[in-house]
Amino acid sequence: MFAGAVLLYLTIKKVIYRQIDESLITEKTIIEDQIRQTDTIPDFEGTFGHQIEVKLLNYHIDKVQSIKDTDIYDSKSDSFIPFRYIFSSGNYVGKKGFIITIFQIISEKNELLQDIEVYMFSLFFSLLLISILINYLIARRLWRPFYDSVKIAGRFDIQSDKPLDLPETDIKEFDQLNRVFDNMTSKMRNDYLNLKEFSENASHEIQTPLAVIRSKTDLLMQQKNLNKDSLSLIQSINESTTKLFKLNQGLLLISKIENQVFHEKKMVSLKQITIKGLENYKEIMQLKRIKVEMDVSDEALVEMNEVLAEIMISNLLSNAVRFNIDGGFIRCHIDKTFLIMTNAGLPLTINPDDLFKRFHKSSNNPQSVGLGLSIVKEIAESYGMKIFYSCHNDVHEIKLWYHLKGNLPWAF
Amino acid sequence: MKLLIVEDDQSLSRSINDYLKMEGHICEVALTLNEAVQKADVNKYDCVILDIGLPDGNGLDLIREMKSKRLTGGILILSAKSSLDDKLIGLKIGADDYLTKPFHFAELSARINSIHRRNDYLGMNEITFNEIRINTEDNQVYVHDKLIILTKKEYDLLLFFIANRNRIITKESIVEHLWGDNVILTDSFDFVYTHVKNLRKKIVASEGRNYIKCIYGFGYKFIDS
Repeated sequence: MFAGAVLLYLTIKKVIYRQIDESLITEKTIIEDQIRQTDTIPDFEGTFGHQIEVKLLNYHIDKVQSIKDTDIYDSKSDSFIPFRYIFSSGNYVGKKGFIITIFQIISEKNELLQDIEVYMFSLFFSLLLISILINYLIARRLWRPFYDSVKIAGRFDIQSDKPLDLPETDIKEFDQLNRVFDNMTSKMRNDYLNLKEFSENASHEIQTPLAVIRSKTDLLMQQKNLNKDSLSLIQSINESTTKLFKLNQGLLLISKIENQVFHEKKMVSLKQITIKGLENYKEIMQLKRIKVEMDVSDEALVEMNEVLAEIMISNLLSNAVRFNIDGGFIRCHIDKTFLIMTNAGLPLTINPDDLFKRFHKSSNNPQSVGLGLSIVKEIAESYGMKIFYSCHNDVHEIKLWYHLKGNLPWAF
Repeated sequence: MKLLIVEDDQSLSRSINDYLKMEGHICEVALTLNEAVQKADVNKYDCVILDIGLPDGNGLDLIREMKSKRLTGGILILSAKSSLDDKLIGLKIGADDYLTKPFHFAELSARINSIHRRNDYLGMNEITFNEIRINTEDNQVYVHDKLIILTKKEYDLLLFFIANRNRIITKESIVEHLWGDNVILTDSFDFVYTHVKNLRKKIVASEGRNYIKCIYGFGYKFIDS
């Protein structure tokens, strides 16, 4: 559109100037003819904006003709006014020369040009606006079935068994789209159910042989004449069996979380869950002489699955207790943004970045399967919460950040 | 007691059979739901130990069958699944208890005993072991007819020992019995030691005999010497 306007401007300007130039040349020719025929300067009335100067010479002069623009100062308006003039010099009848200069004001023409330009521009612009509006209205009508389909497809919940209820349209392409959505979502749902079933079944299948192992060792234990070494071996078997079992449970839990099995949510109070959790560990904490400090200023209500919340907090507490030292402490700070669990403990033997990874080994606890904190991370992140670990002078701190509106992660 | 073991894994059902027979119970084994239904029809069992993951059907259906036929006797569900739903449904339709595989046999014994006590209304509110008498209705323990005060853990521990008398019980099974699944085992072993020590002290203080024998740091045995 702008290119068109520019083109138009240049074209009209060219036309106008050609017109002026032609009239200048014509006028000059008339004057020149008259000079050649009568050897006199013709009479003329100059008006403002149209001046003619003719000079007759009695010597030879070169033949020149040029048309140029110039600005002439006008004292009345105290400004320079644009003119276009033709300068023509030549000879006639032997050695006599002449100079003809004709001035034509072009500011009027310029104004005309500008007015045309403004008019054309507004015309183009309104055309543009109208066409955009019409386009928009048509597109909206036309694309409605598409947007509806996209909205419905976006609400697809792989867990529920409600089919995707896509509207009928009479546009072939959107019908095709709908059919593709339907097929894709049924396939997704089937795959999901299969995967869920598979991982749950695999996990359960492991449970029975584990039960068999334990049952045999239980029976073995009861035999007479077992010495200390035999019992020690049986104890090792038992420990490994338990470890396998816990590992299996942990992996099953992680797979369930990833498959959104725990999709029920409600407002849970992390404060209450933490207090309850601390009760469970009261005895062990007494045994290890661990002091508990609570710094709670908020209920810490978070919308999440209750079972997962309990598992998450329980794993955090378990971690804080397990790796604590005799006579150590646990501090729980809960406000409306963070839950911070601080505990005294032995220095970390692994890379802190690996802490939340699965199966990290911590050498001072052979019973540890290494899944506890990764489960915490898994749960936290599935609800958009963030978890951080830091360590300072053998004091370990795990920070759970749950209310993301407002505070930025780098504010602390 | 007369027990029916419904479990399709032969290895496991044989183990359970052997163990419970050692405890003096009479046991029968059913490997399928069908077999179980037939047996339950014909015989009267004090307790049915039921695996719900059976090849020809869900064990829960057996419970429904038994309840609809008004068959008495306790029902203990065994399951590989730790699904909360299964547990709730099972208990709701009439099972007495629920145990997840893998389990300690000591725990199995304790649960069976507990079910039996609850179901037998004819005066089994008391457990007597020599000079120790336990009133399970009001949870009171008497040694030589003198009341001794036990904490809840010590009480549970005593019942556990008596239910599994003359068998070796691992520290692990004690921990799981007293504190459930979600505990830190290594730290809890010290606990078990403390509780056992206290229990023993209290019984002996009332002139009871010391029945609790420590086995090489591996576990304990409650022996009738």
